[in-house]
Amino acid sequence: MGRYCIKRILSAIPLLLAISFFIFMYIHLIPGDPARMQAGMDATAEEVEVIREQLGLNKPLLTQYVDYMKGLFTGDLGNSLKNGATVWDTIIPRFKPTIMLTICSIIWATIVGVALGIISAVCRGKAMDYIGMLIAISGISVPSFWLGLMLIQWFSVGLGWLPTSGLDSWKSYILPSLTLGAGTMAILARFTRSSMLESMREDYVRTARAKGLGEFFVIMRHAFKNSLIQVVTVTGLQIGGLLSGSVLVETVFSIPGLGRLLVDSINYRDYKVVQALLLFFAVEYIVVNLIVDLLYGVLNPKVRYD
Amino acid sequence: MKIKKILALVLAGAMTLSMAGLTASAEGATAPDNDLVIAIEGSVSSMDPQNISDTNAISATRGVYEELLHFDENQELEGVLAESWEVSEDSLTYTFHLREGVKFHDGTDFNSAAVVANFERVFDADNGLKSRRTYFKTVDGEETPRIASIETPDDYTVVFTLSEPYGVFLNKLTQMCFISPAAIEEYGNDVMYHPCGTGPYTYQEWVEGDHVTMVRNDDYWGEKPGVDSVTIKEVPEAGTRTAMLQTGEADLIYPTSSDQLSVVESTEDAQINTSVSNIMRYVTLNVNREALSDVRVRQAMNYAIDKDAYVALMYGGYGEAATSTVPSVIQYYEEQTPYTFDLEKAKSLMEEAGYADGFDITIWGDNTTQEIKGMTFIQQQLSQIGINVEVVPMEPATVSDKIYVPLEDAEIDMWYVNWSASDFSADSSMRALLYSEMCPPTSANTVYYNNPDFDAAMDAGLAAATEEEKAEYYQTAQELAWNDATWLFLGTDQIVYSTKTYLSGAYVAPDGTIRYQNAVLAQ
Repeated sequence: MGRYCIKRILSAIPLLLAISFFIFMYIHLIPGDPARMQAGMDATAEEVEVIREQLGLNKPLLTQYVDYMKGLFTGDLGNSLKNGATVWDTIIPRFKPTIMLTICSIIWATIVGVALGIISAVCRGKAMDYIGMLIAISGISVPSFWLGLMLIQWFSVGLGWLPTSGLDSWKSYILPSLTLGAGTMAILARFTRSSMLESMREDYVRTARAKGLGEFFVIMRHAFKNSLIQVVTVTGLQIGGLLSGSVLVETVFSIPGLGRLLVDSINYRDYKVVQALLLFFAVEYIVVNLIVDLLYGVLNPKVRYD
Repeated sequence: MKIKKILALVLAGAMTLSMAGLTASAEGATAPDNDLVIAIEGSVSSMDPQNISDTNAISATRGVYEELLHFDENQELEGVLAESWEVSEDSLTYTFHLREGVKFHDGTDFNSAAVVANFERVFDADNGLKSRRTYFKTVDGEETPRIASIETPDDYTVVFTLSEPYGVFLNKLTQMCFISPAAIEEYGNDVMYHPCGTGPYTYQEWVEGDHVTMVRNDDYWGEKPGVDSVTIKEVPEAGTRTAMLQTGEADLIYPTSSDQLSVVESTEDAQINTSVSNIMRYVTLNVNREALSDVRVRQAMNYAIDKDAYVALMYGGYGEAATSTVPSVIQYYEEQTPYTFDLEKAKSLMEEAGYADGFDITIWGDNTTQEIKGMTFIQQQLSQIGINVEVVPMEPATVSDKIYVPLEDAEIDMWYVNWSASDFSADSSMRALLYSEMCPPTSANTVYYNNPDFDAAMDAGLAAATEEEKAEYYQTAQELAWNDATWLFLGTDQIVYSTKTYLSGAYVAPDGTIRYQNAVLAQ
């Protein structure tokens, strides 16, 4: 397993190199000129040129890419074009809100989603199944900005229980986590239900029942444990997505997370920050996928790593 | 018996309480605390006052930092760190007499040496500060300083000698804030994380993308602030800002969009406030296009637009139809003969120009909901005189890319855009947009307007020494551009913001900056 990990990590290096190249080219080739954005609409072309030089954007693209890669290997991501702060200083404070929100959302979404899925599968075709799937479909269909604003209206304005925005205390995490996790909960409920239904048809479940095991034991120990692989895969993908920040939820609840930073930086054509964020998201997907793959082995001893 | 007594007591108590409640509300609402919270839409880009250009950062830095002079509530220049100033007759020498006894928050004295140290920081190209370009002129790649020298005859006198007359110098100085020279020395450009000025509030915290907090400076040289702290919070979503005002988490929210007005109106202890803005809304007409080259066509287009309907549709009535090339709060503004909505007149002008059947044309603009709505309105209005407008919304950076191109590559017909001169000068309001040498790619004259009389008036205005002369030249310029119908003159929107009724002394100025220095929360 150790060798497998090392192999996976090594194989990620060329992947990341390719990704960094595409990110760099992509962001530089989309229309928009950061020097003009910074100088303002009324600046003269000469003033814009001065700024372009200051930002090092007048050099050939390939030279800029080489400079960028050199910086990357020494841990220097450059400076934000917006205010001159280092990219590290710009993005590091944004991690905490996004990571905290991801953790809170994923915890409740997994517990509720999996429970709903199991109950629906067990009560297939009965009222509980329909209720569970109604909740799941609502979770997927309701747009997060709408759900967020409604929750603010009910719990903050109406009842006065929770703050409308920010992340000042544990209370402030409740509404954004509910909003952010709704979709994940719904997806997990659907996946858990279908994979539970599949495994409940398997021979080993019938055998377990025939042995006279209790229904609860049969479902949790035999059926659910075997559906876990799918659940873990989906959860992993969801975590990867959530860690990139959610623009809508962060906007509605005024949370200074990675999603808003990315959008603001794209609008400002703050190349350095956009490059760093996209590269980070790539790394994060690779890591999450690796963890998921390792978990397969834990869940199913038949899986071997070579 | 006993029960009755208790009941009577309870009732009496309840009555007293409700009476007390009545008196309290009759006296006016009171704030739950003495901490002012302001919710804004955009983000604060930096806390370095010499490296910012956005309104939000200007709002946030003006609690900690001060200028030599600023525009007061009536848009008149008023001394802040300068007690008085004189301008020589040739308008080349500006002498400032500084306020004595002012200290920076770190204890450093504010004096003429501090003024010089700040200008030196801005001038130094290696610092790469945004405000640098205000003080330099670039012609043919040659950079010349606008300020030839800064002298300090004594600790509290600063004399600026300009290399040539620069009529907007005082206006530009309203954007120059002073940082403690000791802090500049210690932190360099990292001073953005360690703001240290002379203002009524001392810096406490800046969490980028979230908020800026300042606390009362008890040693402030002027009137001490009425509130304990000020927090400026970034709340991008309009509905959330309104919710914050409803719950009392925010005391002032800006802006309040037109769809939120009814909610604020129905909130008991909140009110809607407005002020005239310096934001001009217009559509540029490229005179190099055959149809638009005829002034009669451009005038016809102006007559075909119902400006009042525009203001009502776009800003829920919070605005006014344009009355000149510059908004009414700009220096030397003069009202022009309006292009009153008149379809008959518009049609006859079109006919005279040989376009009785109209023509096809495109309009560019940003791809926000509001901008698309505005362009669609123009499309609908111009269809009344047979002009077939194609609306082309684009992402802002893309619009910019397509505009700043050499003449032979120019594809622009009409541009739905807005402009606000943060220094309130007539020069900044028109030069970059209409002066002949400012055509793209140089700058934003997308009209490709080339009127020697207009250029002459603008140049004479910048060089003029007296207020009367300046007024005369800039008024001529306004009139020329207006009569030439260089733009579709649409309107000036009002600034709309909402406050708790217990907040006084804080307001949003015409340039969109928030002034909270004298805020008071009723206790």
